[in-house]
Formats: sequence, C-alpha cells, structure tokens
Amino acid sequence: MYSILAVDDSASMRQMVSFTLKNAGFNVVEAVDGQDAWEKAGQLNFDLVLTDQNMPRMDGISLTRKLRESPKFKVTPILILTTESSDQMKQAGRAAGATGWLVKPFDPAKLIEVIGKVIR
Amino acid sequence: MSETSTDDASMSAGIDLSQFYQVFFEEAAENLDSMEQLLLNLDIESADDEELNAIFRCAHSIKGGSATFGFSDVAELTHQMETLLDKLRRHELSPTSAMVDVLLQSGDALRAQLARHQGSGGTVVDTSDLLVSIRAMVSGQAPSVTAAPAPAASAAPAPAPAPAPQPAPVVAPGMRELELVVGPLHDLALANNLVELFKEIVDLGTIEPLDGGQAADGMRRFKITTACSDNDLLDLFTFHVAREEVVLMPLSVGYGFHAGAPGAPPAEDADQDKGYGLFENAPGMPASTGEGAMASTPSASAVAKPAAPKAEKAPAGMESTTLRVSVEKVDQLINLVGELVITQAMLAQNSLSVDPSLFQQLSSGLADLERNTRDLQESVMSIRMIPMSMVFSRFPRMMRDLAAKLGKKVELVTQGESTELDKGLVEKITDPLTHLVRNSCDHGIEMPAERLAKGKPEQGTITLVASHQGGSIVIEVRDDGKGLNRGKLISKARERGIDAPDSMTDSEVWNLIFAPGFSTADVVTDVSGRGVGMDVVKRNITQLGGTVEIESAEGYGMKVSVRLPLTLAIMDGMSVGVGEEVYILPLSSVIESFQVTPETVKTVGGTGRLVEVRQEYMPVVELESIFNVPRQDPERVSAIMVVVEAEGGRVALMVDELLGQQQVVVKNLEANYRKVPDISGATIMGDGRVALILDIGSLVRRSRH
Repeated sequence: MYSILAVDDSASMRQMVSFTLKNAGFNVVEAVDGQDAWEKAGQLNFDLVLTDQNMPRMDGISLTRKLRESPKFKVTPILILTTESSDQMKQAGRAAGATGWLVKPFDPAKLIEVIGKVIR
Repeated sequence: MSETSTDDASMSAGIDLSQFYQVFFEEAAENLDSMEQLLLNLDIESADDEELNAIFRCAHSIKGGSATFGFSDVAELTHQMETLLDKLRRHELSPTSAMVDVLLQSGDALRAQLARHQGSGGTVVDTSDLLVSIRAMVSGQAPSVTAAPAPAASAAPAPAPAPAPQPAPVVAPGMRELELVVGPLHDLALANNLVELFKEIVDLGTIEPLDGGQAADGMRRFKITTACSDNDLLDLFTFHVAREEVVLMPLSVGYGFHAGAPGAPPAEDADQDKGYGLFENAPGMPASTGEGAMASTPSASAVAKPAAPKAEKAPAGMESTTLRVSVEKVDQLINLVGELVITQAMLAQNSLSVDPSLFQQLSSGLADLERNTRDLQESVMSIRMIPMSMVFSRFPRMMRDLAAKLGKKVELVTQGESTELDKGLVEKITDPLTHLVRNSCDHGIEMPAERLAKGKPEQGTITLVASHQGGSIVIEVRDDGKGLNRGKLISKARERGIDAPDSMTDSEVWNLIFAPGFSTADVVTDVSGRGVGMDVVKRNITQLGGTVEIESAEGYGMKVSVRLPLTLAIMDGMSVGVGEEVYILPLSSVIESFQVTPETVKTVGGTGRLVEVRQEYMPVVELESIFNVPRQDPERVSAIMVVVEAEGGRVALMVDELLGQQQVVVKNLEANYRKVPDISGATIMGDGRVALILDIGSLVRRSRH
C-alpha cells in the first residue's frame, strides 16, 4: 500500500484530503505544518508528500527544500497545494524541488487523478 | 448561487464533503477570532512582519477551506481580504486604520456568512460594499468606506465609489473564468453545439476545450470566459443539453507538474490548463524510475533539526486536547458531587460517635473518602471555570468602535486574563462589566483636546484587571479620566429628590451613582443611554452575591471594583445557632464575633438597638425576632454578636452559638420553594438538616431603615 504524507495547517483541509486518500486506498499520515512533517519524514517512509504551501512554523516550500536535501526524499514525488497559481509560486516550488502543484480548491476526484499520475 | 455551488461541491467524487463542514466552521471561527485580535493589536505605524503574515494566514486559511467546501461567498470575500493582506505583508502598501476598519468589518461579515451556512438563518449578507472598498484599497485608492463602526453585516447602502478595478487583472474586468463540464452525453457532438453557441452570441464570451476535444466517459470539459451569470449561461445551454448534464464551476480548480521534476509523469501529461503541473527534470518524476529505487532505500540521515519554532498557536493541537461537553452534563455532575459531599459530611458526623480505636479501618476509610471527595469536588468545579479572557476579549473591539464614535482616543489595557471564574458568573458579569467599561469611556475619559489642556496624554487609558483575592474574584475597571465630582453628584442627587446631606462621606457620595435614575452626564449620549443604568449594574452584581466599590480622585480618574464569589454553587459558610435553628453566614462577609452582656446593647428611638464596639456604634439585628424562632427556654438569650459586612455597611447579628465553619453546597431556594426575604439560599447540613443561608446585604439594608 502506498503511503502519503499529507501536510496542512487547516484541520478541515487535512481531514478532507486524508479521507479522500484513504478512500482511494492510500495509507495516510497527517502533519499540521512543515515542522511536524519534517519530523515525521525523519521517522517514516513515504511514497508521496502532499503539502500545503502557506503554513506557520515551516511553509511548504521550505519543507520541500529540506526534504530534497535528504537522500531519503531525493526522488519522492512532492506536490504543493496552493491557492496561488501564479508563475512566481510555481517557480518557487520548482526551485525548491517540488514535483508539481495542485491549485486549491480542488475536488477530491482531481486529487486522486493527480496522484495517479505520479504514483504507479 | 452559493447554495447551488455548495450542493455541487458537497458531493464531489462521491465523497460527501459536508462531513467536514463542522471542523471547517470551528476552524474558521478560530481564525476569525485570532485575525480580529491581531488586527486590534496591530501597530499601524510600525507593523510587524510576523503579525502581518499571521493575519494573512488567517484569511488564507479560511479562503482555502471555504473554496474547497463550496462556500463561495466566504471565499470571495476572503480572497479580496487576502489580496489586500498580501500587499501589506509584501510592503507594497502601508497599513492604515481605514484598512483595519474594513478588515474588521469584513470579519464581521464573514461571521454572519458562516453563521448562515451553519443554518442559523439570517438574510443573505451583502458584502458588495466591502468588496468594493477592499478592491479600492488594493489598487491604492483612498478608502471609500466611512469609519463608521456599524456592523458591516447590516446591508446599509454605502456611497458607491468609482468602478472598482480588479486586483491584478488576469482576466478582463467583469469577466469570469469558469469550468464547464457537460455529460454524460450519448452523442458527443451535442457538446459542439455549445461551442457554436459562443460563436453565434459574441457577448457570451469565449469557450475552449480543456480536454483537447477528447471525451472521457462521455464527459466533455470546457473553459469559459464570460461576463454572464451562471443562470444566463445555463438557460442558453439547455437549448442543446439537459440542465442536469451541465455543471459550471469556477476555474480555479487545477494542478500541474513541473516538467522533469521527480515523480512527474511524461511531458504529454503536463497540462497547465488543468491548473496543476509537474516540473521538468524535477525530482520525484516517475520517468526517473532508475533513481526511484533509491527512494525506498532507508536513510538514517534525515535527522529532524528544529527550525526555530516560533511560539505560534497550532490549531491542530486543540482537537485532541479539548472536549466539548454540554453545560447540562457538567451541571448534573456538579449536582451529584454536591450530593456526595453532603453524604460524606453526614458519614463524617455520624462516625464521631464511633470509637476510632475499635473501628480503625472504618475511620481511615472515612478520612480517605473525605479527602477524595474534596479533590473530586474541586476537579469538577474546575470544569466550569473559564478564564476571564473570555469576557475581556470582547472589549478591545467594543472600545475601538466606541472611541471612534465618541471621537476619543482610548487605549484598553487588560490584566489577569487567565484568572478563572465560574461559567455561570462569566455569563452574568459580562453585561454589567460592559456597562462599566462603556461608562468609563463615555463619562470618564475626556476629549483629546481637553486632556491635552489638562496636561494629560491625549490618549486615555481604561484598565481592566481581574485577580483572585481569597475566595473571591475582583474585577477592576479603572480609567484615567476626569473622575467623579462630589459637588456635582450631590446637587444632582438633590435634583432627583435623593436625600444627600453635605456630611456624606466620599464613598457614600460615589455610591449615589448607583441610585435608580441617576445619570451624571450633562448630555445623555446614545452610548450611555442604553436603558441600563448603574443601578441595574449594581443590582445584577448584588444578585450574584457580589459587591461594587468606587474609588475616585477628581481629575485623575476612577476605579470601580467588582467583587464576586468564585462560584455560585459552593460557598464557605459559618454556621450559627439560634434557638433550635441553624443559619449559614457567608464566611466572606463575617468580620468578627464577640460575646456581649445585655448592658452593652443600647436601645434608641424605641425599637432600634445599637451595640458599642470599640467606641463605635453598630446596628444590632436580632435573628431570633426577624425569623420568629421559637424558644423552648425563655430564659436563654442570644449572647454572641457576629459582625458582618455587606454593601459598605456593617451590622451585628445576635446569635446563640457559633457552630463552625464549613463548605456548603448552595441550593436555590427560589427554584425549590419561593423567594424568602433576608434569605439567599439553602443548604443541607452534615446531619441531613436543611439550613438557610442568610442574605447579608438584605439584613444590612433592613438596619438602615
């Protein structure tokens, strides 16, 4: 079973994402912000990281950068959830080493669709 | 429109999103509260980056959730707020108090919108004025909103400013980008009719396929850029396809891959129109399967390094650490514990007749029971205790609006927010406190010019302090305004026909403002003239078993101290015996007790009796005669005086004996029987008898007449 780390500071978003992914047969670990995610990433292995962009303590971009520095997550798909679809954000994500982005709001089906493209 | 989109979103992909609504509502309420706090604390001249970021994040978080769960009206307003806040945190704009006003009003409007979505009813919240104002600010125009603190939720028509330019117009002004999903269609050619429609009616806007003309499961997807309303579009579409086959949604939905990024699919999948993307050559792409094996290689190098965590509220932590329980359940628990305390007291009393050396185990068991009962009682009572910050938190906003309305400059300082108070008291003390704070702002603090002329700082200060003192909580409302004027109060009292001799002490004069129908303001403003006088404030506090005291220094301000018992349910009492009866005195009102001889009690004016205590005469209240206590032994007389104090007055109560001190569980007499003069409640004693709790305030008043 694929394991996904879902990072979002908003409890409702986290629940929604987590429920959707579990429904689709993924194993999900939740983290409340980048710092929490980074700590969990140190202890567990994940096949995909799905992170919100704007969070307290550590944002999604910094998390991505840190994960990429670690050999364990060098090639793990990392998707950034964002409400800003500006090029600036995309470039920041790209520079940090993100695999892709997904614009909020999205519907659950789209989330599964995107994940299906990177996890095979 | 909002309802329709809610329905659409709530069933996306067969997942019922409504199950997440409650969490979203709670989270949004928390975010709105912290946003308001942050805005009120924001120093406009030198705004802190971290604060601006925090405010931004609140709006951002609400926007994300509301858009996901389909509350489009909330999403629309938060989106505009977020745009403005984004410019502020990037220092593209400087914060102004007008911006703070608009953001606060927007917060109110969001609360109303959310309340409506939660099913509390109410009319649709009109936010068009707010949206216009925020857009104007975003584009750097002068604020068009009046600083009126009227709740934004009221759909009062504000002067409409010039056409509001869209922030960062990606789309032409007035145009919207929508995603249109049609299907399932038995004949895919039908969808092409819709494309034709846009060619025929030029005003409709543009349409382009999102799926490259390829239908998936009979569904076609288009991107529409239009100025028309959803309903207009749907009406037109129904000429070609059935209404239920058409879904319109905002085209913000999307994702993308960075070409070449790790984990990104092959290039042909990268489709920016879908609103998502994968970066080229970025790590994590499935294309880089060769390296993929490395991903699963365990690595010990990922050691978590704390990245300077800031002391920030993590909303997620709250979920597991708090539990919402209905107040009824807690009250039931408290009642049961109250009964348990009484039972335990009875057992303790009965065991006194048992020889402890013979029943050692029983004695130690009873001692354990007593200790555990006390602990249990304290723990249960603490459930009902909530911090004063729950009351204080409403004042900064109120003060801001009030000061703006009065044209005054006032700073609110609160101290002791963590002081805990029984929930029942918190609810009841809020209104009286609100009135006191209003009063200080309205009557106490002078106009800025007047303050400067007096050599005071232009900005007045109102200080709210809560603290525990013994078994009570003391809440002080202090201001550095003009204070009370003795002469003015006395002449005003005489005008109102209140007896006010010149010989009154200052404290008696200050207490005049609690007299019914007394108002010291020369002009009754709409702020103070809210129908609640200081007399009502005083009465409400007295009903809670509390007292109010005023200290004032003319020209320097005044201080109103409200003293309340910590809880209404349990009280430290002193039990006294009169004849065969037992009465309870609130321990907090007992000053001293002493034995008297009949000679020290003097009779004046026929019925009034006074006792001399250290060269001071004090009215005597004979409980025996007030409560008509029957005497078995006519020879016996009350020989002990207990001096009690309430409402600034002292009386000496004549009792037969002092029985002891104990915690008593207060039972409401009115609810179980009826109101009895001079009695505030009842309790059950250790031996199972009912004892009445005396209303000291009422006894003091009785002695004055």
